[in-house]
Amino acid sequence: MSDEWAPGILARARARVTGAVSVPAAEPVPPGLAAVPDGPRTWLLPSWPDGATPAVLEQYELAPMPLDRSGQARRVLAAALRCCWANLDDAPWPGVPAPVPAVLDVYAGMTRGDAALAGRWATGELRRLADTGWLVLDEARGVVRTGPRTALWPHEALGPLRDLLRRMPGPSREALGDE
Amino acid sequence: MSELFDPLLAPYDERRRAELVAAYMAVEHAAAPVPEVRFPALREPALRRTVAAMLALSGRTLVRGADRDWTSGYHDDVAAALAADPACVLPVEDRAVLTLVLVHSVAIPRATGTLGEDTWLSPYPAAADELRRRSQLPVGELEAALRRLRTAGLVTQVKAGGDEAGGYVPGPQFHRLTPGARRRLQEELILAAGPDSPLAAAIRARRRSNEEAS
Repeated sequence: MSDEWAPGILARARARVTGAVSVPAAEPVPPGLAAVPDGPRTWLLPSWPDGATPAVLEQYELAPMPLDRSGQARRVLAAALRCCWANLDDAPWPGVPAPVPAVLDVYAGMTRGDAALAGRWATGELRRLADTGWLVLDEARGVVRTGPRTALWPHEALGPLRDLLRRMPGPSREALGDE
Repeated sequence: MSELFDPLLAPYDERRRAELVAAYMAVEHAAAPVPEVRFPALREPALRRTVAAMLALSGRTLVRGADRDWTSGYHDDVAAALAADPACVLPVEDRAVLTLVLVHSVAIPRATGTLGEDTWLSPYPAAADELRRRSQLPVGELEAALRRLRTAGLVTQVKAGGDEAGGYVPGPQFHRLTPGARRRLQEELILAAGPDSPLAAAIRARRRSNEEAS
């Protein structure tokens, strides 16, 4: 192996460490990274050969990297998708911004027990999902939208997800800030 | 995108190509090393070289596990370049907490002979109490650091049960260390745990002579 590392190699290695990062849209995209345009910025994400996804692990019954409270993470992501993927006939990305209270309201409808505690857990989960590119969270404005990773979901995987979201109750009018 | 891999994959028929991609995805994403018996592209040396070349496009390399199994990790030179990039390194609190976990779950059991020489995975958890006492971090910061380390796969929480005390052990990422990285980590731990020991002096002397030679 050569001691000289091409800049493209280091850029891809770096992208694996940093996860989803956005750069100004005018910046060149290093080859081998997926570019997801987002207005004035572009999200850079690692991409995989021949459209493969880590779901290939399921075929081989191999455990993926463990995730704390993965059920909760999935439910919070589902609640956010229910609110931000407004038109299910379209793609989930870029979706529409939804108020965080609306997402927490949908999540509360999926859980039992202490609603205030569930809300606190879910808020932490929203941040974690935003850190990893599944959601884009604007805490100052109190809104959340789908993340750039959803732009890379293969079309054929969207059908079951659409069916699930159609069956999920949406946020209450109060949570949406309607009178 | 996929064009990146095309020059490497183009010579293969569809079946071989799918096997190469499956092996690549498995070593990159599974929590633990994957057995070569289940992946033709890891079993056959020629195909394995192609998997290694696919990994090298992102600065990665194949890492052989203990038992004819494989995972991937950063090539040593690339790891060094990334470690010099502030955006790619852990916050200092996380590194301190991780060091404590390694001292208690690996270095001490290794020094007493209960843990093998060349492994960074351990069945001996660092007790949460011990981390609270030794880390000198406010408990909130300690918890936040442990949460980030768990999310990154660098520590695994072991729940207390029966006679077992709970705590933290090194996480699945420690499968991904190359032989060179395991050696450097061992040296760093000696420098941290016994800076005045003869072993630490020998490590410093060797590093100085390597620097002068390069």
